[in-house]
Amino acid sequence: MDKRYDPISGKSGAIIEDVMNTPEVLAFPENLRFKIRLCVEEVVENVVSYAYDAGAGYMKVETSFDDGVWEIRFEDAGTPFNPLAKEDPDITLPAEERPIGGLGIFLCKQMMDSLEYIHADGCNRFTMTKKID
Amino acid sequence: MQVNVINSADPVQVSLAGRVDTTNAAQFQNSLDFIIKGNQKDVQIDCAGLDYTSSQGLRVFLMLQKAVQSRGGKMVLTNMQTQVKEVFDITGFSNIIRII
Repeated sequence: MDKRYDPISGKSGAIIEDVMNTPEVLAFPENLRFKIRLCVEEVVENVVSYAYDAGAGYMKVETSFDDGVWEIRFEDAGTPFNPLAKEDPDITLPAEERPIGGLGIFLCKQMMDSLEYIHADGCNRFTMTKKID
Repeated sequence: MQVNVINSADPVQVSLAGRVDTTNAAQFQNSLDFIIKGNQKDVQIDCAGLDYTSSQGLRVFLMLQKAVQSRGGKMVLTNMQTQVKEVFDITGFSNIIRII
């Protein structure tokens, strides 16, 4: 899959479904599809919410599946934002002390095998990989 | 995503079906706002039909837990599917929300 969504505004659902409907992801077992859906949603949600004023910019999504490793690459030209720079939430706090939100990228860290962020050529590039057994 | 309110008074009984994600999380929250802003003490949510939740849905579950707990009540989630339970486990929500 190699697709550009421009503008990204209102496309969250379409991006997630396009990834879920790629031939390789369609063939993955249900528990893996669940994790992929969730991690893609969390990244797209981050970009839609933070990268552009009023969601006016683009997002490019590429996926590949080689040598048993599924990879997804996201690119946007919005405000430089490294989602990995944020400290992990303290998941041992009692309910009354837990802040609302801030769990999306943490879930990706737990469910994927690798996450990488770089800012290059004026673009945010975020890559996730998952080894498929 | 469907929120079926079986009983809106104490004890509240609700059942959920479908997926809670970025496209419908606001609607999900609105549907349960009567609990967040209400005064009911005990809340039972049947999650048998809940196929998926992202962090957007977790926000709402935490709001519910905080609201119910702050008025001395108890919330319990029942019949949760394995993969949804894993999301609650990874985020530590299984320790702060009662799941049976």
